[in-house]
Amino acid sequence: MIYLEGVTKTFHSSERSYTALKTISLIIQSAEYLAIVGKSGSGKSTLLNMIAGIDHPTEGIIRINDTQLNELNEDQLARWRGKNIGIVFQFFQLIPTLTIRENLLLAMEFVNVIPRSQQETRAITLLTQVGIADQADKMPASLSGGQQQRAAIARALANDPPVILADEPTGNLDSKTAASVHQIFQELAENGKTVIVVTHEKDTSLKYQRTIWLADGEIVTPPVNEIIA
Amino acid sequence: MNTQLRKAVRDLTYSSKRSLTVVFALLLGIWGVGTVGIAYSILTHDLQENYLRTLPAHAVFTSSDFDTQDTPRLLSLPEIESAEFRDFSLHRIEVRPNVWIPLWLYSVDDFSDIKLARIFHQEGAATPEKGSILIERDGKNVSVIRNGSIVNVRIGSSVKTVKVSGICFDPGQAPATQDAFIYAYTDPQTYQQITGLLTHRRIIVRFRNVHSAEEVEQKVHLLTDVLQRSGVKVQSIDIPRFNEHPHQWQLNTLLFLIGAIGLLAFLMGAVLVSQLVRSMLVSHVRQIGILKAIGASRFQIFRMYIFVLLVIGAMAGGIAIPLASVSGQAFAGFVAGKLNFDILTKTVPVQVYLYLLLLSLFLPVLLSLGVIVRGTKIAIRIALSDYGIVQQTKWSNYPLLRRLKLSEAWIMAIRNAQRSKRRLVVTVLTMALGVAIFCTGFNVRQSLWNLLEGQKDELRYDVQVVLDKPVSRQKALQPFQKLTNVKTIEMWVGGRGEIQSKVVATTKGVGIVALPAKTQRLHMKILQGRWLQVSKKVEVVINQQAWALYNHPEIGSSFDLTIGNKICHVTLVGIAEQFEKPKIYLDIAHYDNLVNPSHLINTLVFVAKENRYDQVMALKKEIESTISSSDLNVVYVMSQAERVRIIYAHLNIILTTILILSFLVLVVSAVGMASATSINIWERTREIGVLRAIGATSAQIYSLFVREGFLISIISVLLGLIIAYPLSQLAALFFGNLMLGQNSILAYAFSIPGFLITLVVTLLFGWLASRIPARSAIAISTRQALVYE
Repeated sequence: MIYLEGVTKTFHSSERSYTALKTISLIIQSAEYLAIVGKSGSGKSTLLNMIAGIDHPTEGIIRINDTQLNELNEDQLARWRGKNIGIVFQFFQLIPTLTIRENLLLAMEFVNVIPRSQQETRAITLLTQVGIADQADKMPASLSGGQQQRAAIARALANDPPVILADEPTGNLDSKTAASVHQIFQELAENGKTVIVVTHEKDTSLKYQRTIWLADGEIVTPPVNEIIA
Repeated sequence: MNTQLRKAVRDLTYSSKRSLTVVFALLLGIWGVGTVGIAYSILTHDLQENYLRTLPAHAVFTSSDFDTQDTPRLLSLPEIESAEFRDFSLHRIEVRPNVWIPLWLYSVDDFSDIKLARIFHQEGAATPEKGSILIERDGKNVSVIRNGSIVNVRIGSSVKTVKVSGICFDPGQAPATQDAFIYAYTDPQTYQQITGLLTHRRIIVRFRNVHSAEEVEQKVHLLTDVLQRSGVKVQSIDIPRFNEHPHQWQLNTLLFLIGAIGLLAFLMGAVLVSQLVRSMLVSHVRQIGILKAIGASRFQIFRMYIFVLLVIGAMAGGIAIPLASVSGQAFAGFVAGKLNFDILTKTVPVQVYLYLLLLSLFLPVLLSLGVIVRGTKIAIRIALSDYGIVQQTKWSNYPLLRRLKLSEAWIMAIRNAQRSKRRLVVTVLTMALGVAIFCTGFNVRQSLWNLLEGQKDELRYDVQVVLDKPVSRQKALQPFQKLTNVKTIEMWVGGRGEIQSKVVATTKGVGIVALPAKTQRLHMKILQGRWLQVSKKVEVVINQQAWALYNHPEIGSSFDLTIGNKICHVTLVGIAEQFEKPKIYLDIAHYDNLVNPSHLINTLVFVAKENRYDQVMALKKEIESTISSSDLNVVYVMSQAERVRIIYAHLNIILTTILILSFLVLVVSAVGMASATSINIWERTREIGVLRAIGATSAQIYSLFVREGFLISIISVLLGLIIAYPLSQLAALFFGNLMLGQNSILAYAFSIPGFLITLVVTLLFGWLASRIPARSAIAISTRQALVYE
């Protein structure tokens, strides 16, 4: 379970301070397939970063299962994240100097929860699961956007984390490829993973179990037309 | 290999140009340091070792009483390690048809058992055949004399023909090439035959258990007492510098030079490597964010980059260390050749290579530690949103640039150059330092040239003839009456004397030159006081070497001067600058009154009517020819041009080294600038894409980067020239002290050709340094640039 209480995030610069999240309180159940929706600057990526432990809240508590993130330092967070969170980025963010298979292996090596002897097999299994096993030994640059995003999903699953976070995972894909990516996420949720997707899509009701709407750093209630430009 | 190491290796190969630049920069630094380190380790050891393996004499005693006493018994004191007769006399030898140079002829009792001041066999006979001589090997460089040659030796007024039966090597002597002497060695019988002089008049001595010049002095006093108590009247004692080769000063200068410039090149290379590694990490910021996002700890990321740096270090070291070994040994060989000593070090100590290897491996790590720690510390959110270099400056010079009515391209180039101020400062400082050192190299060279020119100006005569002993003026002048190209002949006399109450290294004292106070033939630069005047009291002028020797007496101070057996009271009126051994000048009128009642002279200086080089050389030959048909005993005949050439030979090795090393520093700084421009380009790859997308042509992008490079070059040249001024003065002070003696300032000189060469070379390097990376910038396609991470 993901538990956020009174989470506020304020960014300070020399010129001004900007509050991206304002006392957000939220509970996300295990195996939930959830969308966080909002227009640009609404704070949705910041919220995702808070859940991933990428960023720290200025105020408030974030607890994921039994771990309170505020209590962990950077290295503890990195280890925790490796085991518990799989992240999928809009621009895939694969390591360009490694093959697809190596990208997965690297994630497994860092965290070391999958026994070394099983890592190779698991990499191929995951790539098969996302449908790009035949691309395993290719460099990311030689794959299409959809294939790269599938590879990124496979990497996110490498250490078998209970939570998958995806930041605009289909924002850079055509509609057909985007649909197949959603299909993968849906299957993951069905298999017990908590999947949280940040998106600015208008029509989310059919794809996600639940949608959280954000505007100006606050959770709001639809109507959708007033929120999405 | 696990995936983390594989990634590290791929990072290197993925940006191969950048990796190669880092490797090249490091390679250059390690190569430079290695060359200097290896040359240094060889040279510091080998010149001393060459000299010491001769078992140099600690003192030289001359007396005409040695034969009358039981000298071997006298020399069997426990304090004496070894002693030998080694008679010596100065003559002249024909090195080419009608070209005569001084010959230092030594007599050696037993060539098969030389106990001290040893010479080493090179070719031909090790012991000269009866009636023949051995010559020192460096003599071959100043003559056509070879093993087996028959040579003419002028002994006084007669010329004798002698065979050269072998070549030897005497590491204890100053190099013949620099001093234009030939050293020769023969047995006592042949020595007597050739010179007509008695032997066993001179003994060289080496003491047991002496560790300093002071200890040698004590033993000399002891031995002198023993000799004098036994009835041996010691005529002179000469104490060479303790355990120091005559040209150690040259080596010291060179070692200082290569050490200082090598260190500078190393520091510049270090800055360069640190810049490049920093830029490499800057370009990896987003990747660091991704790695952290997928669970990598800081230590894991840190370890990966350390591995990358170790690979870079190993690659650079793998190439640079063998190169440094070759170039270091070659440089040591070059210096050894110039100073006439053998390279004894056959293998460079393993620890030198080990240090270089450690330096190669850990220098980039050490230099980049801070950057890596900071880089791996970066927050994921910031790392993931990194889009390369940003405008860091708050200061805007835009209105000023507008007022200057510069084109947009120039304004952009100026503003881009300021974007990473720290890098701009490092680049400009590195380049400016290179310019300053290069320019200083030329300025010091100019100072030395000016010194040489000053020498020409100082000696306002064309040919000098020095006789082996004083003769009457009439006898000295008579043979030269018929010379045609002679305007005037002035006559001087000299001897040796010593200022009393000061401990000096020789009881023979320093050279005294007695000449007319109003002479027009000598015009030395006076550092303090004035030149001689006609005066009732005895005035002396000393050169700065004598001034240093006598512990800097004040102008106006009076002291006793011993000349021969007479002591006279003199007043110091001036200190003159002179690239010479210690010398004391006084009015010939006083000299004659004191010790030379017969007005004898031993030096003639000739002023030619026509003094073009060829005419002076013709006059010199005419003088040589006149001497050969006269009964004058001549020590040497030397033209001014030759004298300057000898001084130049002493300085040339230093001048050449200065220029080569300062050029190397400039190259290193140019590589630094090229790398800085490359970094700018790497960091702005995405911007290049944007520029292309909004319509910039390849030529416009190319010109943008070249303009930036040009701007940096201009700033660097200006700053470099400003730094060069105090640096040149310091360098002149240093070299002045080293070559001319303490407190002698080699006058600062600004080299106009040097300035122009510096300007052209720096701008050319600056252009090349920006042109090469700029070309790679325009090779990037718009699509590649826009998706670049």
